[in-house]
Amino acid sequence: MNEMVDLAIIGAGPAGMSAACAARACRLSVVLLDEQPSPGGQIYRGIAEARDDRLAAILGKDYAAGEEIYRRFVACGANYRPATTVWRIGPDGLSWISAGRSGELAARRVLVATGAMERPFPSKGWTLPGVMTAGAGQILLKASRLVADGAVFVGCGPLLYLVAHQYLNAGVTVRAILDTAPRENLLPASALLPGALRQPHYIVKGLRMIAALRRSGVRMHRNVRAVSFSGQDRLEAVHWRDRSGEYALECAEAFVHQGVIPNLNMTMSTGCRHAWDEQQLCWRPDLDALGRSSLQWLLVAGDGGGIGGARSAALSGAISALAAAHDLGRLDFTAFERESAPLIAARRRDMAVRPFLDRLYRPAQGFRIPEDEETVICRCEEVTCGDVARAVGEGCPGPNQLKSFTRAGMGPCQGRLCGHTVTETMALLSGRTPQEVGYYRIRTPIKPVTVGDIAGRIENAEQGAQHEQAAAD
Amino acid sequence: MAERHPTSDFVVIGGGIVGASIAYGLAKSGEKVLLLDEGDVAFRAARGNLGNVWVQGKGATSHAYADLTRNAANRWGGFAAALQEETGIDLHFRRPGAFYICFSEEELERRSGMMASINEHATVRSEFETVGPEELRRRLPEIGPEIAGATYCPDDGTANPLFLLRALIKAAAGFGATYLPRRKVVSLCRDGEGICIETEAGTFHAGRVVLAAGLGNGKLAPQLGMTAPVRPVRGQIMVTEKVRKFLDFGTNFIRQTVEGGCVFGESSEEAGFDEGTTLSVLRETARRAVTAFPLLRDARVVRAWGALRIMTPDGVPVYQQAPGAGNVFLITVHSGVTLAPFHAGEMAVALRQNRLDPDRYLPFSPERFNVQAA
Repeated sequence: MNEMVDLAIIGAGPAGMSAACAARACRLSVVLLDEQPSPGGQIYRGIAEARDDRLAAILGKDYAAGEEIYRRFVACGANYRPATTVWRIGPDGLSWISAGRSGELAARRVLVATGAMERPFPSKGWTLPGVMTAGAGQILLKASRLVADGAVFVGCGPLLYLVAHQYLNAGVTVRAILDTAPRENLLPASALLPGALRQPHYIVKGLRMIAALRRSGVRMHRNVRAVSFSGQDRLEAVHWRDRSGEYALECAEAFVHQGVIPNLNMTMSTGCRHAWDEQQLCWRPDLDALGRSSLQWLLVAGDGGGIGGARSAALSGAISALAAAHDLGRLDFTAFERESAPLIAARRRDMAVRPFLDRLYRPAQGFRIPEDEETVICRCEEVTCGDVARAVGEGCPGPNQLKSFTRAGMGPCQGRLCGHTVTETMALLSGRTPQEVGYYRIRTPIKPVTVGDIAGRIENAEQGAQHEQAAAD
Repeated sequence: MAERHPTSDFVVIGGGIVGASIAYGLAKSGEKVLLLDEGDVAFRAARGNLGNVWVQGKGATSHAYADLTRNAANRWGGFAAALQEETGIDLHFRRPGAFYICFSEEELERRSGMMASINEHATVRSEFETVGPEELRRRLPEIGPEIAGATYCPDDGTANPLFLLRALIKAAAGFGATYLPRRKVVSLCRDGEGICIETEAGTFHAGRVVLAAGLGNGKLAPQLGMTAPVRPVRGQIMVTEKVRKFLDFGTNFIRQTVEGGCVFGESSEEAGFDEGTTLSVLRETARRAVTAFPLLRDARVVRAWGALRIMTPDGVPVYQQAPGAGNVFLITVHSGVTLAPFHAGEMAVALRQNRLDPDRYLPFSPERFNVQAA
């Protein structure tokens, strides 16, 4: 009745595309479903479209590296379904919708490659229109080629500098960069530098970018703390403190960033085991070296399994596809070892830079756990930090009871934008570890679908009949 | 890890709506109460609840249950007002009456007959109307064309069950009760005059114990020589984004919350302790919701989940006092929301007096199942 494939891959970023190529090389039948209209994921968004040289220059060499993966992917023979949203996954397969059509797909293995998302930036006024994430700023640049002139960049992490740099390259004014990386990070990070230097190109690239930003004369503030945003109906000014005093700067747009974390809702919805990663300060699925989760049918590759960046994501996608092929009896052990060993070694090398980067750009506590009671934590239901504190004071044992008591996490984003803040805030308030506090139980549908979508084809058919009737009248 | 805790007069096991109602009632009347709860992730029927304060159709096999329900529902207004005053939490209680939506004429006819028969035996009055399709459309303009009719009962109401739970725990604590989550009870035994309660984090002693652990009662009760015939019945529920106000009344399977989201679900499955959702049931649930209210077709579903409800063999509550020492009470009910005023009121009084009147509570004794089996 339903379609059955060997491997269903969700997400067409570097991990998903590489997994499809590797699985096809082992002659697995592969369907790759992706929400976007064209392949690339976030990092290589718009890679399939023709670009002028100027935009290519703005986006840089690493973006161009995506083109090779993309070319292999389109030739690999995987059944690629763009603009398709997966709203449910389980041991029996997955449910999808696409442009009003819906269906089920049964798969022997499911590989989730849904990538990363930006860590929430809960601070006073962060819900004002005009406050966007740096990632959203980059999407503007890659997709619509619209850019905001005179924006302030606030936060820390490689993506913040990358986007600011790309804006400068595009000839746009960057009003200021407010770097929130705490000075205290330097010492522990420097101890990790030797390991990172095994992959010097990352460090070189970073240093070049920061040097270029400096040379450009962009106003830069370091050790920035206590950031807040103000305005009547939209952003009018950003405020902060540093060692020398308190500041405010008028601006219409601010791009905020505190690093990236795995995009969890898909894996969390399956009930596979997750653990709190103290190094990256985030939840991630508990995976073996090949990306296999605690559920036999489920594998995870790329940043969705822990942040590693685009190169590691592509390698982990291929590794997981080989593991799936081996587990399904389609690749014997010798061949599996032979093909996976160099990929695993390359991934280990590529990941060598992570401990240094994670430590250097570890967001300060004040940017993860709001200090101000009025700060909104859950944007969908407008639940504040004070609301969470009051519930904890009443003995509320964890995020799920908090959800019941305050509606935090009950909105359309299903806790994507407040889950980590809630875990860490409750941990701090109750003197427990994030692991002990836990996370929201994520429910189907992973992405909002309508009641009519769930009701399915029969409903669609009836609706169609009614429309015909109306037309006849 | 062991934690010493002073002996409490009452230990209520189970921090759901039933246990919290009892703890609240006891604490409010001056008893020293300890409420033991599981952690963040537990089988919580409160999360699988539409929030109906529901009278109509209850007690078809037990007029004592019909009366219990009707009395409790009649007290809900005062109960909600008191809790709001004590905690500042609005329970969103309203009592506009509710419709039981029937999908076919046969269903409507059967339903009316059943309701009439309950009213012949119950002593507390509760009126109902059988509403035909045209009249139903007048009262519920968004009702779908395929709906055959409904029974309407003005005594039904709705509330937010999650806010109810929060308010009960907060109010109980306000009256001096101690609420301890993450204390799943591992074992129980008699210890001299009292009861020794071993939890996952600490051992406690109680003069009197109230077993209100829902499905957990099945395993806990036998340790003190009692039986709690209880099984899980799974319901799959979904909730939509906020949509325009169209449903002020309660219904049997869909409620529009004060915030505007629609909660619906009516499945009743024997699935053991599996809390999952299944595509076939979600699909059927969605189809029935759209048939009842076609405007829901375009509402986005925010969440769907399965929850385990607590069911006795006949659906009627079990209230029992341990024979002999009598300091253990077993409370196993399906309708924690509707019966909350009863548990916090009359039941708390009986617990304080250490006596469940045998005449009053005979219809709720688990002995009835033995009689049926014989």
